[in-house]
Amino acid sequence: MRLIINGEPRVLPGTGNVKDMLDRLGVDHQTVAVMVNGEIVVRTNFETHPVRDNDTVEIVRFVGGG
Amino acid sequence: MVITEKERVRRLVSLPEAKPGWIRRLRQSRVAIVGIGGLGNASALYLAAQGVGHLTLIDPDEVEPHNLGRQILFGPPDVGRPKVEAACRTLRFIAPDISLAAEAAALTDEKQETLLAGHDVIVDGLDNWEARLILNRFSVHHRVPVVFAGAIGYEAQVYVVNGGKPCMQCLFGDDGFVEQSCALLGVLGPVAGMAGTVQAQEVLKLLLNTGDGLQGRIWTYDAFRNVSRVVGFTPRAQCPVCGGKEHEYGR
Repeated sequence: MRLIINGEPRVLPGTGNVKDMLDRLGVDHQTVAVMVNGEIVVRTNFETHPVRDNDTVEIVRFVGGG
Repeated sequence: MVITEKERVRRLVSLPEAKPGWIRRLRQSRVAIVGIGGLGNASALYLAAQGVGHLTLIDPDEVEPHNLGRQILFGPPDVGRPKVEAACRTLRFIAPDISLAAEAAALTDEKQETLLAGHDVIVDGLDNWEARLILNRFSVHHRVPVVFAGAIGYEAQVYVVNGGKPCMQCLFGDDGFVEQSCALLGVLGPVAGMAGTVQAQEVLKLLLNTGDGLQGRIWTYDAFRNVSRVVGFTPRAQCPVCGGKEHEYGR
């Protein structure tokens, strides 16, 4: 599956939903906000929100320190 | 030597967008900075230097030795003193005419009105999710812009909630985040300073109504890889704070 992740083209096999995608990328679910095609996906929906070929994904880590 | 306000901001008002009211607008502005750590030190320094009339500094902590690597308003004699007092002393040196209020208190639900009311813009210099929730709600309920930021490790981010939607919880959800502290994960000093400096820049743009803001956009910087991005975000359906997509705020 081809995705644009944070502006860069990536090929990720077997990525049906947001959770799979984050697991493939090795990204901790607990620290990020995810947008698929500009729409925010809340963490509780990571497992159900689909990711499809050619989707544009933004992954933004919450940076908490000050 | 007495430096007039006009001299102080000469390079500011040389900008092509500058308007005759800019100097007075800054002088009449009141900005609250909540948290005087790495972010708050940098933003306070630039806001004072650039001619903002009043700053309220809010932080319950005292200066500790490990703050000095990035909290540039403080020096060794300040260790053990309240951060807000130590910061005021440096800011008065930088900008003798500035009006300053020092509040050695933590931001809580009970104190938010007293601490935050009457400011044109609020700066997030906090280091935790829970207190940021208070700022986000205050912004939406009182229609006051809050310039949010974070810095940890080599990473920085800045985004604005402009008293409405989209808000912080549209982007980051309602469930909270595992606390990340600079004590555990470390932070490169200038990265925190850069986030605070970008906050000061966005505060000034809001006050002067100039340029493209960061409302509904988040600026992120990864200093390790030297990658910077600005990512747009939109109201989230059923956001419990701003209402998100479902209805217009205020109805």
